[in-house]
Amino acid sequence: MAVQIVLDVTGDTRSYFDTNDAESLAEAERRFKELTGRGFIAAVRSGPDEVLRIHHFDPGVEETLFFPRLVGG
Amino acid sequence: MSRLRRAFATGLRVRALRRLYRIYLQEKTPQARGLRLLRSWLTPRQRAEFDSEGQFEVVGSDSGKRYRISYGTSANVHEVDRAGRLGAGLCFMPEGGLVAGDVMLAQKIALETCEKSTLALANRFPPLLFSSRRGQG
Repeated sequence: MAVQIVLDVTGDTRSYFDTNDAESLAEAERRFKELTGRGFIAAVRSGPDEVLRIHHFDPGVEETLFFPRLVGG
Repeated sequence: MSRLRRAFATGLRVRALRRLYRIYLQEKTPQARGLRLLRSWLTPRQRAEFDSEGQFEVVGSDSGKRYRISYGTSANVHEVDRAGRLGAGLCFMPEGGLVAGDVMLAQKIALETCEKSTLALANRFPPLLFSSRRGQG
């Protein structure tokens, strides 16, 4: 199972999906597009010491983190 | 003698804080969940720094400059010079009033993956008057 973690005011919301199930994958891709379309930033861990920002849905990624767009304080 | 007593008292205080921190991490509140998520995304070195000091350093993706992210939700990021002294402060955060752990995680990812665009939107503030090197309080 893979997971998409969305950070928002309520904390984090986790959506799990089965990477072997086409319908589940399509739902995860739709969620990815919807969130990034709203300005959320998507990031993945590409190694123990490395984080990457991604712009397209990758069905092979086990954990994707989404956080809202950044603003100056 | 009083120095010894002070050191002993400080040691007790640090142990008490660590105990509270461990208990806090086991809670199910958004704040505790945010801290757990943050810890799981930190590198082993950053995690060790955060557990002992409540702050950790990241390296900017474009300049290679170091930044220190302290516990908090705003005005909690500082540049760090080669000697380990704190420089200018940077104020930026994700929209929407996230809890501290989530804000710090977003700040870490932003500096480690898109430093230039993050600096472009961050507001800068002057260095702390009494900046100190890591571990010297």
